[in-house]
Amino acid sequence: MGKQINKVVTGTLVAALSMGLMAGCNKEGAKDASTSKSGELTGEVTLWTASLAGEPFDTYFDELEKKFEKLHPDLDVTIEDIPQNEMEQKVLTSLTGNDVPDVVNLNPHYMSNIAAQGGLLDLTGMVSDKTKNSFVEGPYKSGIYEDKLYALPWYLTTTISWYNGDHFDQAGIKELPTTIKDIYDTAKAITDKTGKPSYYPVINDGNTIMEKMVSLSNGKPMVKDGKAVFESNKDIIDYFTYTQKMYKEGLIPQETAEGSLKTGQELFMAGNTSFLEGGVTFLGPIESGAPDVYKASKAGQPLESESAPVNVAVMNFAVPAKTKNKEAAVALAEFVTNAENQLEFSKTAGTVLPATKNSLEDDYFKNPGESPKALGMLQASESLERAKVLIPPTESSAELRESTKNIFVKNLQGKLTPEEAVKQLSSEWNKAFEKSDEKVTF
Amino acid sequence: MKSKQFNQRMWLYTLMIFITIITVGPFLITLFMSLKAANEGIYSSILPASPTLENFVTAFDKANFGMYFLNTLVVTVIAIPLNLLFCSLAAYPLARMDFRGRSVVLAVIISTMMVPFQLYMAPLFQLAGSLGLQNTHIGLVVMQVSTAFGIFLMRQAFLRIPKELEESAYLDGANKFKVWYLVALPLVKPTLVTLAIFTFMGTWGDYLWPLLNSTESSMYTLSIGLAQLSQNFDGSNLKLISAASILTTIPTLLIFIWLQKYFISGATDGAVKG
Repeated sequence: MGKQINKVVTGTLVAALSMGLMAGCNKEGAKDASTSKSGELTGEVTLWTASLAGEPFDTYFDELEKKFEKLHPDLDVTIEDIPQNEMEQKVLTSLTGNDVPDVVNLNPHYMSNIAAQGGLLDLTGMVSDKTKNSFVEGPYKSGIYEDKLYALPWYLTTTISWYNGDHFDQAGIKELPTTIKDIYDTAKAITDKTGKPSYYPVINDGNTIMEKMVSLSNGKPMVKDGKAVFESNKDIIDYFTYTQKMYKEGLIPQETAEGSLKTGQELFMAGNTSFLEGGVTFLGPIESGAPDVYKASKAGQPLESESAPVNVAVMNFAVPAKTKNKEAAVALAEFVTNAENQLEFSKTAGTVLPATKNSLEDDYFKNPGESPKALGMLQASESLERAKVLIPPTESSAELRESTKNIFVKNLQGKLTPEEAVKQLSSEWNKAFEKSDEKVTF
Repeated sequence: MKSKQFNQRMWLYTLMIFITIITVGPFLITLFMSLKAANEGIYSSILPASPTLENFVTAFDKANFGMYFLNTLVVTVIAIPLNLLFCSLAAYPLARMDFRGRSVVLAVIISTMMVPFQLYMAPLFQLAGSLGLQNTHIGLVVMQVSTAFGIFLMRQAFLRIPKELEESAYLDGANKFKVWYLVALPLVKPTLVTLAIFTFMGTWGDYLWPLLNSTESSMYTLSIGLAQLSQNFDGSNLKLISAASILTTIPTLLIFIWLQKYFISGATDGAVKG
């Protein structure tokens, strides 16, 4: 027994020591990063994508990598995928060390947070005007923080509406509602027929309600120089009034209080809710998870006035400030976001829009076909004309979203009157802006 | 009398079946979901109409789960013996040797259990970077090789050994190191097995550190692969995620079933007064 233990202990110690040595030998040299004497890009450059692992993306990025390396034979490109929820934390942590990625795929919210901490390279003077002008204006502006360009827009999703065509047929409804009163009437008619709550207002972490409020305001500012000015906005009070009424009458599912798009997706997939607003990607899991519901799914414009602005969700590419290969990193970011590659990416993904004007002119978007996904794509490309990032990145973003979610849910559950809820929300937003001393307007 | 006993048992069994359904139910639903074919609706029925392993094949083929599985296995297999070695080496003096500042050392070690990982992950990342441990299996193992919990658990186990056994070994001429591995270690085998299970579970399911320390997907572990699948940009394929979850869970389940008698006896070790 003693000998056996002796062997185990000795063996484990030897293993530990040899692994320590192996680790020491594994030390990587610093990444080469420069341009050669001829001006050609050299060295290594690493790009991180967010939650785009597996096929068909692996093949797309392999080919993209080869194309870029063919253009710059002395450059070695590495593309890695990171789970999106942890992207911000991973980029920030990597910035504390020396091994930083050179190009990262961020949403505008993560981008502004990292830029505010000095973590991103200012691209304003590094990108040509021609490149800047190639992008659709709204998405392009989402890469600007405090008047500096920190990111180039890549792919987009705009808000559209999704509905279960069978449920609408059962209730004899031919048109999508465009006002909150119409939404109430439609929801009531469908619920009377199906017996299930039919309208699902997506809350997420509060951001979707904030965007909805800006859309409903339709041009009237919600916040002026850091002061909330929507306290007496009739459209917003009506929205709070009708959603509360619908929740009380069982036209909105109880699960809405949790409010994620994923929950809405599950309810829609199970045929337990009939219409909601979301991006084109909404149908992804429904196609494989509930083929019958997928076939019955139809897309339309967002559930508001045709002139109202709609939100565009942008994914972009930024360059960390600590990159050791600035020129190559910027060149790669420009290459990935050029019109040709954006179009190819949109075709690969099947549910997103490109951020370049030229790509949107392609027949792929003008005549997308008859499948539910294709119809969603058509609606999204049509709504892109009035799409922009409705809530600009602010330091108070987290507080605004949290208070909006809490107060909207309290209003749904009838714990506040709609007027009280809007007033309280306005006051919470003011507190947040006072704290950060921001003079934003949107 | 018999009827009363029968009734009591009936209630007991009903309660146990109810608790079992609640506990095992979600796992079974996930298992059934993972066996559904591509063209079958996930809400059509709980049981798959024509069970298939295609989701498992897809997880291995297209979502790189084979590689993630291997990485996780390598890291776990290295981490467990190292954790047992270092924790028992650190715990023994804390339990059995008198030296100045022993209680302070113990307090410092235990207090590290209260510091959230998020607080020290950035310096740890820098340290791993400067030691060349990024994107290496060793870099992933290093977090698990010695844990405050493991040291505490082993210390409590060593405290229970009668001192007479060690004293007789000293009389036979053994030195402290020999007493540790010839006398003390064999007597705390159940606790070693318990610690092995805890280390297995901690390493197998670890997410944040492997994610931070790996900038190459070839070093990703199962938990990162699972996150990639569930956060996929166009929503998620629930059948594929279910298959991946089952693949991730089965080893933990098997280990637990195999070693559960040690797990339960060892888990109470920490409760013994020191």
